[in-house]
Amino acid sequence: MARLFIFAIGGTGSRVLKSLTMLLASGIKPNSQREFEIVPIIIDPHKSNEDLKRTERLLGNYYSIASEVGLGNGFFNTKITTLDKLVSSENRISGSFTFNLQQVSNTRFKDYIDFNQLNEPSKALADILFSGKSINKRHEEVDLLDIEMDIGFVGNPNIGSVVLNQFKDSDEFKEFASNFNSEDRVFIISSIFGGTGAAGFPTILKNIRDAMNNKNIDGKGFLQDAKIGAVTALPYFNIEKDNDSPIQKSDFIGKTKAALYYYKDNVTGNNSVNSLYYIADDYSGKPYKNDPGDGGQKNDAHFVELASALAVIDFLETSDKELECVGGKAVKPIYKEFGIRNETADIKLSDFEDYTERKISLRLSQLALFRKFLNEHLSNSVEKEAWSNDKPEINKKFVDDSFYRTNVTEFLVSFGEWLKEMSDNKRGFSPFNLESTLDSLIQDRTVKSGFFSGKVDFAMYDDKLSKKSKGKTYSSSQQKLINLFFETTEDILTTKFGLKN
Amino acid sequence: MKEFFASLYEWFGLIPLYSRDMGDQLRGWDITCTDYIATPWYVYIGWIMIILTGFIYALQYHILDSSRWNKKRHWWIFALLIIALNFLIAFAIPFNTLQAGDFCNQLNLTVSDCIGFGISNALWSFILFLIISSIPLIRRFSTNCRHTTFWKP
Repeated sequence: MARLFIFAIGGTGSRVLKSLTMLLASGIKPNSQREFEIVPIIIDPHKSNEDLKRTERLLGNYYSIASEVGLGNGFFNTKITTLDKLVSSENRISGSFTFNLQQVSNTRFKDYIDFNQLNEPSKALADILFSGKSINKRHEEVDLLDIEMDIGFVGNPNIGSVVLNQFKDSDEFKEFASNFNSEDRVFIISSIFGGTGAAGFPTILKNIRDAMNNKNIDGKGFLQDAKIGAVTALPYFNIEKDNDSPIQKSDFIGKTKAALYYYKDNVTGNNSVNSLYYIADDYSGKPYKNDPGDGGQKNDAHFVELASALAVIDFLETSDKELECVGGKAVKPIYKEFGIRNETADIKLSDFEDYTERKISLRLSQLALFRKFLNEHLSNSVEKEAWSNDKPEINKKFVDDSFYRTNVTEFLVSFGEWLKEMSDNKRGFSPFNLESTLDSLIQDRTVKSGFFSGKVDFAMYDDKLSKKSKGKTYSSSQQKLINLFFETTEDILTTKFGLKN
Repeated sequence: MKEFFASLYEWFGLIPLYSRDMGDQLRGWDITCTDYIATPWYVYIGWIMIILTGFIYALQYHILDSSRWNKKRHWWIFALLIIALNFLIAFAIPFNTLQAGDFCNQLNLTVSDCIGFGISNALWSFILFLIISSIPLIRRFSTNCRHTTFWKP
């Protein structure tokens, strides 16, 4: 199976990866000739970043569920794995989804570059390059050189580009390079208006394209001409005004322009990337808390992150021919944006263009319907309904088991939070009425009703589950849960809600 | 067939719930007190009991076949319906004959005989429902009630 290595950089990288995980969990698959295994690598110096922790946890649960039930069950139908799982010989790297940045924790940037050991001319140069002020994790104003990097680069890509350059010498990069095959692809997720993403994207891209010149790695032959896609999120959210914070909304555009100017020569200008997606939103909505990183940086999910995750799907749907590279340069570089049919502050499924609507409406609704049943009705059905009592049983023991209690429940709780956060955000994405009755689950959709078609409620849901499970064989209760609910939710949503498959 | 139903309703002679005279009447003892040539009520009521019980079983398991009607409490509701209807039928037919005086005057029939026969019919219908719904092979054709019996779910 071909692999897609995804480098998710910074807070936006983690949040886009979270959106992608939700899409893949719902059963959305790229319409491509080849199956891809996803290998996410999160790059963020800010280890206590709540967005990173939430995404790691989510990926961990996805991995556990998919490993337990296998592929071909609808939900969780794309393999996601950690880089270390690809390593067969020696396991030198950690089994997490996060790239372990060395010497960042509790280290001042000044110490990282051995500023005190530099000669005077070099010190003077460093002073010029890294002049200015920032804040530390105790919210005190410090010189840029004195910044402690365990809360990230606090919107300073000049620091990020130095620190992230260690990536090329890391064990993770070596393993990635030696496991990279000709049919594999790379996707880089970053934002352009902060510190970590803006610096990380060109740094990682350059290290991949220059792999031939890297003496530390083996098996680099395919890397130079790797098919590389990237999404760069342009300013898309608003933050609270805080004069004491180094993060100011007014700087977003300036930083974006500066980064784009740099990309003009080093990313797009030299055809380094095969397919680049620019995703942005100029809607000035509900401001996020101004947290440079010391408060854990937990930002609500945003529709732009979902749109960015769709870029990954779109990249996988792009044919090999369109992503051809010669000598480390894309032959026909592609640049894309994302648009919706209706300009609205609160996006619904019907506001998407046709292809996007067809791609995600049914599957996302299926996962929402699955979550609704498990949240609100499963306890009433277990050991009572025929589908639950059919072998292998979905009984109270199964519900108490860690697969359901931890992996599935936690994943679906995160899914609910993700939907709610997107819904509360402005611009919002609120396709579902999560707290409503079953028949009004999907916004703007009325249930098909008639004399012979019954009510859409949990009893009907149970009926459909029992009908689908009748005569079927499942390898385990875990597989049954995932497969049965995928088939049933698909049936309900197509027949009762009129969604198209 | 007559003797088959007769032995069932008379509990093989072990626990008679009604008099021997009522048994003769149900076997079809003629109004002229000559022979068993009148309506063989045992056969008629026996078949009605089987068909009615089968229909109500089918109603729960295959016609309604709904998750709204597949718990053990629903099984007992349907069982009560079967018991009530079969009691009424088995009680009403001989009771009407008794009221009309349309039977051999040598037979000593009472209302308690009618009640006894009603109970006997109701008990057999209940047993029949219990047996049909306890055999997995039969109920497996149901979608929502394929695990429904008097004790679960």
